[in-house]
Amino acid sequence: MKKYYPSIRALHLYIGLLISPFVLIFAGSVLVFNHPGYINKMAHGKDPSVINTRLDSIPFRSTDALTAKAIIHKLGITGEIDFINKNDSSLFFPVRTPGVINRIRVNTLNGMVSITRTDEGTLRGLAFLHAMPGPHNVAMRGNSGFIKVWRYIADTIVYSLLFLTISGVFLWYFMQSERRLGIYALGFGFLVFIGLLLFIF
Amino acid sequence: MESKGSQNTVKKILNFNRKMHIHLGLFLLLFIWLFFISGLIINHGGWKFASFYEQRKERKTDFTLPVTSLNDNPDMVSQVLAQLRISGEVENLKIKPGSIDFRVQSPGIVRDIHINSKSGDGTLKELKYNFWGKLKTLHLFNGVDKTNPSRTPNWIITKIWRFTMDIIAIVLIILSVGSWVMWYKVRKDYRLGYIMIACGFIVSGYFIFLLDYL
Repeated sequence: MKKYYPSIRALHLYIGLLISPFVLIFAGSVLVFNHPGYINKMAHGKDPSVINTRLDSIPFRSTDALTAKAIIHKLGITGEIDFINKNDSSLFFPVRTPGVINRIRVNTLNGMVSITRTDEGTLRGLAFLHAMPGPHNVAMRGNSGFIKVWRYIADTIVYSLLFLTISGVFLWYFMQSERRLGIYALGFGFLVFIGLLLFIF
Repeated sequence: MESKGSQNTVKKILNFNRKMHIHLGLFLLLFIWLFFISGLIINHGGWKFASFYEQRKERKTDFTLPVTSLNDNPDMVSQVLAQLRISGEVENLKIKPGSIDFRVQSPGIVRDIHINSKSGDGTLKELKYNFWGKLKTLHLFNGVDKTNPSRTPNWIITKIWRFTMDIIAIVLIILSVGSWVMWYKVRKDYRLGYIMIACGFIVSGYFIFLLDYL
């Protein structure tokens, strides 16, 4: 097994370096999710700006999602359509990129469009990326190119983390000088983990 | 002499960083796996084996509570929970003339409680998830309400779990930043590291900062 040590060490190092900025996104956004009150105090979003415009015609398509996509294409807005609310005379949908929400309301009778743009800031942008694609609106999710790509990136990060943990244990196993303290760390982590789960359930 | 002293200090810091990287990583191993599996379940709702919502167990129970414990009682919710012998994170408390409604959540269990505050009659609707559902709720269980950022967790277990998630996140940040320091020390032997770290930053930076402009 020791003959694999140099190649696993190199892979552990390179993959770790490659995904480290993404780990910062996922880890940093946990703090944003858990402490929204502090984040609101630290980073006030800018006041929303409103633009009213009119479409010469509404590009109706076979589904609301395709119609909404055609509308944002016409408006020159890009992003992930979060959800769509529709009634007899209007269509409402937020379009999101990390840190920015464009809430679009279209009057389907006269073509009037109101776009409310909210800059949420980088921290909330991280939280948005962390939550994507997520469990909600599965049928709609991935309607933008960047979320389609992000979905694969998120999975790759997760599988890479699995590799890093397994290869990390492998590398540690061959370090005589760290063996004893490592066993304590592993054992203590195991006890805390099991203890917490027993406490919770 | 001074430069030798400072070299020793740098050596000590690098050694400490290396030890932290190894032992914090080992300590967090099971926690990382928990969030790794639950994250995958959340992002892959179509995976049949983990379809916890379809396999949920629902139960409805009727109960009657003494009316005196319900009206004008600031400690009403905790008294109701004690009488029903349940515990959890209390959410969506709605007190209207004649009725009290709230939700009690714990990982894998959602309980909706409705009480007629005039008669004391109530119903408890309970929804229990399977193992995969419990894993999924652990990933998200922080007692935070997006629509009410000032709300803080009101159940001790939610507070402990949220604290645990914070610690895991901070340790992961330390491990990531520490890995740059460890690589920098051996950068001459691992030159591809420059490309790896640059690629990581360029792609993540594109997603964070440039999507709205390109």
